[in-house]
Amino acid sequence: MPDWKEEIAARLSSLKLDATRKSEIVEELSQHLDDRYADLIAGGAAGDEARREALGELDQDNLLAQGLHEVERSAPREPDAPRAGRRNVFASLRQDLRYALRQFRRNPGFALVAIFTLALGIGASTAIFSVIDNVLLEPFPYRDARHIVYPRIHGSTQAADEGRQGYSAEEYLEIARQNQSFESVIATADDPVLYKHGAGVEWLYGADMSQGSFEFFGMPALYGRVLQPADYDPGAPAVFVLRYKTWMSHFNGDPNVLNKVYVLNGTARTLVGIMPPRFGWYDADLWIPRTPHLGLTTGFAGMPERWFLLGRLKHGVSMTQAESDLTGIARRMAGARPQDYPPQFQVVVAQIGHSVSGQLEPALYTVLAAVGFLLLIGCVNVANLLLARATSREKEFALRAVLGAGQARLVRLLLVESLLLAVAGALLGVLIAWGGLKLIVVSMPPDSIPAESVIGLNAQVLAFTLALAFITPLIFGLAPALQAVRRDLIDPLRDAGRGIIGGLRTGRLRDAAVVIEVAVSLTLLVGAGLLMHSFLALRQVSLGVQPDHIFKTMLLLPPDRYKTPEQVSRFFAPVLAKVSSIPGVLDAAESSSVPPNISPDTRVELSGKSLGKDAHAQVQDISEAYFRIMRTPLEMGRAFTPAEIHDARRVAVVNRRFVTTYLAGEDPIGRRVTLTDLKNVGDSLRDPSFEIVGVVGDVANQGAPGYGGGGLQAAIQPQVWVPFTATESGLRYLVVRAQQSPMALMNEVQQAVWASDPGVALMYPDALDHAISQRLYAGPRFALLLMIIFGSVGLVLVTVGIYGVLAYSTAQTTHEIGVRMALGAERASVLRLVILKGLRLILAGVAVGLAVSLLLGRAVASQLWPVVKPYDPVTLAATILLLLATGVLACWIPARRASQVDPMEALRCE
Amino acid sequence: MTVEVEWKKGSAELLILSLVETRARHGYEISKLIEQRSGGAIRFYAASLYPLLYRLEKRGWIQGRWVEKSGQRRRRYYGLTSPGQKILAAQRRGWQAFVEAVNRITEAEHA
Repeated sequence: MPDWKEEIAARLSSLKLDATRKSEIVEELSQHLDDRYADLIAGGAAGDEARREALGELDQDNLLAQGLHEVERSAPREPDAPRAGRRNVFASLRQDLRYALRQFRRNPGFALVAIFTLALGIGASTAIFSVIDNVLLEPFPYRDARHIVYPRIHGSTQAADEGRQGYSAEEYLEIARQNQSFESVIATADDPVLYKHGAGVEWLYGADMSQGSFEFFGMPALYGRVLQPADYDPGAPAVFVLRYKTWMSHFNGDPNVLNKVYVLNGTARTLVGIMPPRFGWYDADLWIPRTPHLGLTTGFAGMPERWFLLGRLKHGVSMTQAESDLTGIARRMAGARPQDYPPQFQVVVAQIGHSVSGQLEPALYTVLAAVGFLLLIGCVNVANLLLARATSREKEFALRAVLGAGQARLVRLLLVESLLLAVAGALLGVLIAWGGLKLIVVSMPPDSIPAESVIGLNAQVLAFTLALAFITPLIFGLAPALQAVRRDLIDPLRDAGRGIIGGLRTGRLRDAAVVIEVAVSLTLLVGAGLLMHSFLALRQVSLGVQPDHIFKTMLLLPPDRYKTPEQVSRFFAPVLAKVSSIPGVLDAAESSSVPPNISPDTRVELSGKSLGKDAHAQVQDISEAYFRIMRTPLEMGRAFTPAEIHDARRVAVVNRRFVTTYLAGEDPIGRRVTLTDLKNVGDSLRDPSFEIVGVVGDVANQGAPGYGGGGLQAAIQPQVWVPFTATESGLRYLVVRAQQSPMALMNEVQQAVWASDPGVALMYPDALDHAISQRLYAGPRFALLLMIIFGSVGLVLVTVGIYGVLAYSTAQTTHEIGVRMALGAERASVLRLVILKGLRLILAGVAVGLAVSLLLGRAVASQLWPVVKPYDPVTLAATILLLLATGVLACWIPARRASQVDPMEALRCE
Repeated sequence: MTVEVEWKKGSAELLILSLVETRARHGYEISKLIEQRSGGAIRFYAASLYPLLYRLEKRGWIQGRWVEKSGQRRRRYYGLTSPGQKILAAQRRGWQAFVEAVNRITEAEHA
């Protein structure tokens, strides 16, 4: 008998076996060879031949060393050892964690897709939640801001959010004295401030604040001090407090400005404090102490002075109690001055911030819902991937179970994996949110958030993200985990996981997931489509002017020097002449307003016609070039001549709506219209009757939503234009049509104004089209932008989802496909089979999504332009087509792969 | 007819488990039984048999034990463990189901 030991040992030399193990193997194998040798000899083989043949057993394709290497290397034991038990929960959790990490390293593609999917969902939710938290929930840095409310006198015929918010000094004092509901009440009034600066004056937005205001807000100054009771004493030195933002923009953040004296509106005032960045009450640049005094005072632009009130609710007093308390007080005051109150009214109180962000609130909550959907899609996607993976890991789980791992242990292991995915997703999501917030803040409509709110990631937001990271694994991880352990554990071992019987069983849950995804995505896309259609419709609405290449600015004329129309026109004549001669300027005009602003309303009468008491029109005063600059089409008669403006003649131009409303079928030219209210506002016109000389097209005059107007959605009102030289009403604008960029004229216009009067400041200088865009389109554009972003992200996720499911089930059935093809199935029919399976799911999802969209249509209807219906067929059809096209694309890749299966390969693969 | 290597590999576990089901056997015995019962169609050489045995043992499906009989050198006998019995039952059912399925397909195509 030959000695085999050396031969065997030589073949094991490449393996690093320990001595005992090695000698055991050598012993066992040499016995095998002995037996073999003996058999061969007994069969008649010669000794040499038998020896060679026996040794040949060891050399089959070099399988020995290779096979032993796989078995004998000391692989780390997997952490599901049957009796890990509850010896140490944390140690075994750590084991689970390590194991999960190893799983992901082994299959990084899966982990990356899952993490990225979750990150998109969590990031988007975090971003929108930050906006909501900073704008709607906690916008104010003030002490106990939830208890700060403002009262509004709401007439019974007014829309829900309308009502007077300005109060006379007398009303303020009465409310402060009589109320039972508030710890304290403070009052703030507009105080435009002309601040002497260089060659002329600049305008700052000042606010007068009643005594106790800073104590009310409870915020200390950043530098210096806040206003104190002593500042309100008669004869106290004049002081003011500056806003951080203004300090940075106008004084470069120079700390030396503190305690310096500045001339504001002709009064020398000492700057005593600079507030912290988030203090921005009234969105003012600076705050001035002033006590409301009894007696009528005129405020800004000749209008009666009004104070805006804030009350801090006493502990335990509800808003409803405060409302009935204040309504009682206001009814008593209405008895004394009925002209200041609607016939039927009550006082409504609302939390601060609501007046600013109210318009954004529905949009933000709609978007939050959309983002919630997105997160849901992401979760479903990941659940799907996990289900698919769980199916391919069935054997592993079964084996673990066979080896004694309890079901609870398996579920926990899977949930730990899910949690790991979610936490990684949340980390990446915070990054996405951080970037997304920057984009959102940039594209937010102006003035739509309180001045005090700073949109960014804060502790609450991060807590929200953390909560998502722990909640989402329960949504996406639990079902696959339960599914994985619930079934007969021996099953997978039995059928060896092949497609014919194995792959289709868990399919139903995954299919349902795809149907849900498609439905949710369709709903989102329909929402985006409707908003887009609505936005396009909004842009189609004619403004009645061509706002491009127009520079506009309000001019702040010092009231003491500009009381009469003559004084005003003496100021404007040289300014208009000078501005018109600037190279690149086509025309310049005065106006009391710019579109789409609402002009003061007056009752009108027409000569020889009884219009009744309710005939009203807006009155705007302008100079000669106004219609030319605005490019408003003249429809009848003529515009004003320079002589008519110069001589302040009583002539008027009306809009088409005026004619169709009051003079339908009659010739308006030559009729006399009486603007009754000009008699008793600021204007002391003894005979405010004007001859109509022309009719122009309708110009948007309903303001902007969120600025107290109805926007383009509201019907244009009858309007009358008169020469600015004929009246002395409030606001003064300068409008200039330029050949090139209008804002390039800014400096020269400013010099021209200061040349005429260095005491006049420019307010809100802007390009008219930019201002209109900000006021009318920024809000809808913002909502649209968000929906498009989130709709697209949803579409990407759904594509990944459909692809994942089909790719997986195709891979599972590769064997079946191989058998089919081996038996003669055409490639085309395999392609069709897979695409049809995907398409069936997509169509089911479309059906569900369509039903949901129609049901939810009502929710978005309020955000839509009226001509766009929530069931708009064009939008629905386009969205469905988009989704189907994307879906087929997602099916195509797995289908093609399936059709290219090599039958031999498929049949051989175990 | 010779059976493809790949087919053999997939079913080798099943074969070995079946052979040690009723009583413990040593490696050479297993290889001889496979060769005999398959009429020579399937043969395992030592180079592939022993790694497979060690792998099954490592998984806990079979257990090897050194047995000394009087007058003989000690030999290593492999017997089926109770997890191994479950696996064997499962693999048998799976194999039968697979064969039936293939039959159904091939018959359907010939019908």
